[in-house]
Amino acid sequence: MESIISAFVRAFQSESGYDLAAVFTPIAPKHDSGRLYSFHRSTNAYSVQTDVRYALTELHMPKGESNAWVEVFVAYWKAVGEVLAAEEALNIGKNQGKSSAESADWPKVYDAWKDVLNAMHRGYSTNYFEAWTIPCLYVSGKYLRVFAIKADETLAKRKGGVAFNAGFEDDVADGEGNTEKLEDAARQINRIFSLCISDRAPLAESRKWGLYYITNLLFKTYFKLNSVSLSKNILRSLQASATDMPPLSAFPKSHQVTFNYYCGVIHFLDENYTKAEEHLTAAYNQSLASATRNVQLILTYLIPTRLLTSHVLPTPALLKPYARLQRLFAPLCTCIKRGDLGGFDAALQAGEDEFVKRRIYLTLERGRDVCLRNLFRRVYVAGGFEAPKEGQPDGERVRRSRVPVAEFGAALRVGGEKEIEGDEVECLIANLIYKNLLKGYISRAHAMVVLNKKGAFPGTGV
Amino acid sequence: MKIDWPAPVREYVSRAFMADNAIPGIDAAAVSAKLKAVITDAAERECLHTLDWPTYPLPQQIIQMEKANAAGANMATQTWANVAAIAHNGVQSSPPLKRKSLDTDMTDAANTKLPPWRQKKPGAGLADRIDKDQVERTEKRQKKVKDFRSTAPPSKLSDLEKRRQRFENGTSSPKSPYFSSSRDDSPMPDANDGPVVGTCQKLEKNYFRLTAPPKPETVRPLPILREALQLVIKKWAQEHHYGYTCDQFKSMRQDLTVQHIKNDFTVRVYETHARVALEQGDLGEYNQCQTQLRALYKQKLGGHPEEFVAYRILYFIHTCNRTSLNDVLADLTPADKQHEAVKHALDVRSSLATGNYHRFFRLFNDCPNMGGYLMDKFIDRERLAAMASICKSYKPDVKVSFLTSELAFDDDQQCAQFLCENGGEALFENKDDGLRYLTGKAGLIFETAKQKAFRGVDIKAIIFGSLSRRKAIQPASLPPRMKRGKTVGSKRYELPNGARKMA
Repeated sequence: MESIISAFVRAFQSESGYDLAAVFTPIAPKHDSGRLYSFHRSTNAYSVQTDVRYALTELHMPKGESNAWVEVFVAYWKAVGEVLAAEEALNIGKNQGKSSAESADWPKVYDAWKDVLNAMHRGYSTNYFEAWTIPCLYVSGKYLRVFAIKADETLAKRKGGVAFNAGFEDDVADGEGNTEKLEDAARQINRIFSLCISDRAPLAESRKWGLYYITNLLFKTYFKLNSVSLSKNILRSLQASATDMPPLSAFPKSHQVTFNYYCGVIHFLDENYTKAEEHLTAAYNQSLASATRNVQLILTYLIPTRLLTSHVLPTPALLKPYARLQRLFAPLCTCIKRGDLGGFDAALQAGEDEFVKRRIYLTLERGRDVCLRNLFRRVYVAGGFEAPKEGQPDGERVRRSRVPVAEFGAALRVGGEKEIEGDEVECLIANLIYKNLLKGYISRAHAMVVLNKKGAFPGTGV
Repeated sequence: MKIDWPAPVREYVSRAFMADNAIPGIDAAAVSAKLKAVITDAAERECLHTLDWPTYPLPQQIIQMEKANAAGANMATQTWANVAAIAHNGVQSSPPLKRKSLDTDMTDAANTKLPPWRQKKPGAGLADRIDKDQVERTEKRQKKVKDFRSTAPPSKLSDLEKRRQRFENGTSSPKSPYFSSSRDDSPMPDANDGPVVGTCQKLEKNYFRLTAPPKPETVRPLPILREALQLVIKKWAQEHHYGYTCDQFKSMRQDLTVQHIKNDFTVRVYETHARVALEQGDLGEYNQCQTQLRALYKQKLGGHPEEFVAYRILYFIHTCNRTSLNDVLADLTPADKQHEAVKHALDVRSSLATGNYHRFFRLFNDCPNMGGYLMDKFIDRERLAAMASICKSYKPDVKVSFLTSELAFDDDQQCAQFLCENGGEALFENKDDGLRYLTGKAGLIFETAKQKAFRGVDIKAIIFGSLSRRKAIQPASLPPRMKRGKTVGSKRYELPNGARKMA
């Protein structure tokens, strides 16, 4: 009791939000690893309220405020009890070779922690808690998500498979997956979001400063729940109140980077690649070089985006420090560069599982167009030059601009496309022309592709 | 009137008052009252001589069961099984009206144990079902009826019926344990309490959305549902009346759900409904079945998971739902990908993704199972996309016959009509070697048409997407339109629950 209260008092007197938040974590701090245990042992369910109330008297808070903190402490004390019980069960289970989901009662921990969050929420919604204390909301939201995931694992183990539809619904199965608690957590975090966004206090003391952290937490949860589309609602509400919010650049860098990353990915999944590039580039530029995990995550989406928007491939030097990215992208990039269609297909297939998991498969697949363009470009370059006209200086030779469709077909067959017919070759060329990767037209009567004399393959120097 | 009691009955009476058989908490007066009721009951049914008295539950046992019943309505089914099991031998004399089924399903077994008078209006059900011109089945049934008549006088049927009604009216007649749970004033079981055991013998049933727990007599048990499915399939093949068929399927799905029947038959109902919906182009209903099937396949209950994975892929192509498409890809196993239909669907997807309309239309002409119905939904849109591509790249013109074959039309006539319908009527030109199309002059005609076609899909995709979404999360910022359906879903159940608490 002593150490936790004194930490609280110290943080309170120095008005340090993050120190205050550190008081309410479900994990004991490193310097005081027995803190949770001793806190829980120092009192009991009956007297915890009076004990805390008494301990907080030295802060001379107004009555309402102190009551609200007492409530938070009581809920926290109970939650700590559940956490400790879960940890104990975990240790026992470990000896019996059980998994975490089997041995500990995570749903119970989740419910107890939800009470902590609710007590916090009440403190803010009644305006007793000042804005500088918002990191407390971060902590409660953050661990709610953690416990929710664990609780769902436990529940899934218990239920085993798909549950029966609980209501009088017409259909047999009850939705999909076991994410009941995480969905609930998303709702709770969303409540915090509303709590922050609806604060009308002047900016200096507004809860709006917590918005981006909470937004990021929500994004994280929605992504995990596979309901990315819900993130768009959040983005919309942020946009709607953009005028009375501090600019993003005024928030801590860590909030900015994460927010930009998620924004980028959301736009990426929406196929809005220009916006995606904007946000991802911002995130990439701001993230710490030492945060390799973050950089890799950002690049995972930035590389396919750039491939589509400006047909730019990552340099080997960029990929070099990141073994995972190299494994993911290097084979594809080599094939695209060489115009090796067969190799591209093989590389795409080899990485399919990983690509699909990261939701970049469908985007990378479009890199095939670039690959095809490069192959056709080679045909064009190999075709040589037109016979020089009279009086033309040597330096201005013109490349042969009329290329038989059959030549492109031959190139495709060399590249491993075995059963390709004339019409399909034309179709592929038409597609490149349509996408402005190739300038020119097909003359079906002559079975020829007539390429522009200048810039037949835009952006590639020929 | 002096009745000569048979010896087993007299023994039964003496056993009832034996000190060894006394149950604490049930006094002798109650036992004798119940005893009287039991014997009167038996006499009324004229089975004093046929009942297996040595194994018939003693009056005090019946009272105990009734008490247990009253204690928890949700225990009803279970207790029923007990009572019925004990009483089973005694009931043999009046053979069950119910058709026997070889199935040894849980529900089925429980059902067979039910004494015949528990089953809803045997006479009426019989008459009803004879209406269904199912000759073969009628014959079977007549044999059953014959069996029945050989052991009990036919008048007993109506007697039983009268008696049942008397009990249901809740008069002063002694309360038999067999009716306590079907009485209307008994507390409604909560949906979570456990499965309903249906007793309805009708094959056809209209669909109504449930707002309270269903009554067992309105729910068809598995064997009846099996027949119902046969009937509906037959009718669909003959009459093609979609409204009726869909309604029947929905009621079947509901009956399966409330009875917690989840087996190969459930899969069959959903698969059949999905196919019928596909054939009719009812994608909303199809999508509901698809979602359910996905959950059912996860439990490995049989069926045709690959066929439906293929539909699923095609469906998401239709709705342009990239997110879900990615999810499907993530779920595919290497074995799935080897399956013909799945492979075809994947090829369709990749051909569209890479703009290879040539391959796409070849795949359209060669679609396994009922995928064609789904592809029909987006074929015109893709034709426009292909035309946009062709018009931008072919100069000065192409033969119409080339377009016919590239875009998979049956003949030039159809192709020309399609082009005209989409604003390209001015670009035909007759030449010596046939009709040509001036692609070089088409400009943005087809590009505009294409974009319009895809915009329409986006809206549809949003609607279908929101419908098929599970009732997951309701953020405060969700627009009210999307919110409504979801909240209704959870609010609907507050009433019965609340009512139950008050009771």
